[in-house]
Amino acid sequence: MSAGKKTGSYGLYWRIWFILLIVTLVMVFIDRPTAQALQGSEPMFPQGVLIFILVSAMLLKALLIGSYFMHLRFERVAISLAVLVGLLINGAILFFLIVPDACRILGMTSG
Amino acid sequence: MTTQATENMELSRWSGGVCPFDAGWRKVMMWAFIITDGLLFAGFLASYGFARLSTPDWPNQGEIFNLAFIAAMTFVLISSSATMASAVRAAEAGERSRARMYLWLTAVGGLIFLGMQAKEWSTLILEGVALSSNPFGAPGFGAYFYLITGFHGTHVLSGVLILVFTAVRWGKGITQPEGVEMAGLYWHFVDLVWVFIFTLFYLI
Repeated sequence: MSAGKKTGSYGLYWRIWFILLIVTLVMVFIDRPTAQALQGSEPMFPQGVLIFILVSAMLLKALLIGSYFMHLRFERVAISLAVLVGLLINGAILFFLIVPDACRILGMTSG
Repeated sequence: MTTQATENMELSRWSGGVCPFDAGWRKVMMWAFIITDGLLFAGFLASYGFARLSTPDWPNQGEIFNLAFIAAMTFVLISSSATMASAVRAAEAGERSRARMYLWLTAVGGLIFLGMQAKEWSTLILEGVALSSNPFGAPGFGAYFYLITGFHGTHVLSGVLILVFTAVRWGKGITQPEGVEMAGLYWHFVDLVWVFIFTLFYLI
């Protein structure tokens, strides 16, 4: 590690741990199986909204882990950009390329 | 402008920074590994997404998994990431015994996670979930489940071994703080991948 580089404190890491824990609990609580088990009913959000919330929460958790636990917040921006371009954009391209094709196949098989 | 001045300007323009990432080669290489390994997991999850979206009778996870148990596994892994971050912090500050304690705690967290995963796997195997068939629906479900969680579990196992070696070598004064930081980067990556698996495979 570079000499004199600032990183987080113990308190910061355990605050991030607490936020991650709360976000995880919220994700489990609002999810469909939990709603069915607890209330015997459908979840409080429609399927599309539920997926949007869960994916947003997932990205928030990934951002917190990357920024604080993996120290990207304290590194030079070049490293963060390399990671973001490498992982997130390629991952997003991968998903957006396959979704239309998967939906087309679903239409063929279920229709 | 003289020829010498032009040459100097060209040199400064193309020679780049002395250290563009302002990080040692170990850290840059570890990040390169994390990006490539992350893309491998992205490929697995994209393949799973394709199968999931294009298969009408994909099993309902609520009927198969015990979500409270999976949430507990997530809790263990997140907690081990916090202890790992604390180990790196302690190593940087030169607090040797504290860093060693956090390293061992992280390794124990990894072992607990592996034990819980073994329990989950054995439950599903006993319920008849195999690679090519299962009683819940789409036959490919078992293959994707065992491949993705198994590959992640292998990473956790490697991480535990790395942590044990690092803790022992740190105790003997062989490993430097940068070594602890590299072990930490790998361990947080394992946690990061689980965040995606947990959401995409178990929740959605």
